[in-house]
Amino acid sequence: MIKEKDHEIVFKYTCYRREDFSVCVGCKICASVCSVNDLALNVNPQELLLKLFVGEKIEDDHPLVRYCTSCYRCTAACPWQIRIPEVVRAVKESLGMESRFEKAFKKSLDIWGRVYEPFVVAMTALDLLRGGYIKYMPKWMGYAGFHLPHKVKRLKPTNASKGSNPSEEGRS
Amino acid sequence: MMEYGYYPGCSLTGSAKRLDQGVRRLCKKLGHSLAEIPDWNCCGALEYGDRNELVSISGENLKKAQGICREIIVPCPACYKNLKDADPERSFNIMSPLELLNPENLSQIEQKRDLKGQVFFPYYGCLLMRPEGNSIKNRNIMEDTISAFGGDVNGENMKDRCCGGNQLFLNKWATERLSTLILGKTKGTVVVFCPFCHMAMKTFATGRKVVYLTDLLLYVMGESNSL
Ligand code: SF4
Ligand code: SF4
Repeated sequence: MIKEKDHEIVFKYTCYRREDFSVCVGCKICASVCSVNDLALNVNPQELLLKLFVGEKIEDDHPLVRYCTSCYRCTAACPWQIRIPEVVRAVKESLGMESRFEKAFKKSLDIWGRVYEPFVVAMTALDLLRGGYIKYMPKWMGYAGFHLPHKVKRLKPTNASKGSNPSEEGRS
Repeated sequence: MMEYGYYPGCSLTGSAKRLDQGVRRLCKKLGHSLAEIPDWNCCGALEYGDRNELVSISGENLKKAQGICREIIVPCPACYKNLKDADPERSFNIMSPLELLNPENLSQIEQKRDLKGQVFFPYYGCLLMRPEGNSIKNRNIMEDTISAFGGDVNGENMKDRCCGGNQLFLNKWATERLSTLILGKTKGTVVVFCPFCHMAMKTFATGRKVVYLTDLLLYVMGESNSL
């Protein structure tokens, strides 16, 4: 569950301020185009923004947080172009809802600076086995191929290059 | 004849190797050269909730490109979005290879085969089309290209729907449902440009081909084994 004080983390992550969500007019256009509703899950992205705006708790295992595909259909349709999937993603991390797959992805980045797919597959092999993915293997043969990982020398900004952060201006 | 910077991104060195090879071969045929950004790192894909962290990871690639190139070809739509997000000043021209398919370049293609009588569903998915400001300018570029070589296209209203590709390893039923929704309302060969879409469509399409547009163009140019 995300309590009110944890909302600050979501705002920090998304670079939105609480008052930025005051523009939401509750038109629910976002809900009408949301891909998660094609899964018949009856979600409403606006409700999540409202909870953040008024400081209400967000329950664990929220279906929008679990199933959001980052399709940006909501953003494209919203009169304010609110980047809802980025808010959802920030909530997901705050709730600790990342899957083993997502963690393996980031771990690979920490080690090599790139996603090394054989590593991600190895880290999630049990889930793939249990999840019934084996039946897709014949179709996935074309994706296989072996290469050694490349280690990137510089991943995070060096002190010298730190300073200007383009993300703030990048917000639209 | 142009020299572009090139950012392949992680999946193009692995599961989407085909797209990487297609882009490289296509550019060569069009007379363009690609200079890979040295020591490029992952763009962060859709895996970071912290926007500043994502932008700093992506932006590191632009620092590595500084002084080398201003125009950077970025095939993967997720990388394309992230690199654009990391460059709000537009100091670089981040381009999808799709943006190379202008009439001038297309007219240079030496056509050896045509696509007459064949039906295609050009499928863009999400990140080439959204969010606004990041999307490709010509939203019919795949249709224009396929039609130029005689192919029939369909599926206009499904072309920017979501395949659910990024849920494939989390909740595969969701990907299956979203992909089959799109497949059910379209017909013919599915032509994609995104590694996620390729995998989702390939996994859930029955009896339909799923190809990258690059491979289709190489086929038109007479390359063997391109499809
Ligand atoms: S990005 Fe997420 S919240 Fe927005 S429409 Fe897509 S699935 Fe729904
Ligand atoms: S579309 Fe935008 S303004 Fe309308 S309810 Fe959704 S978030 Fe609020």
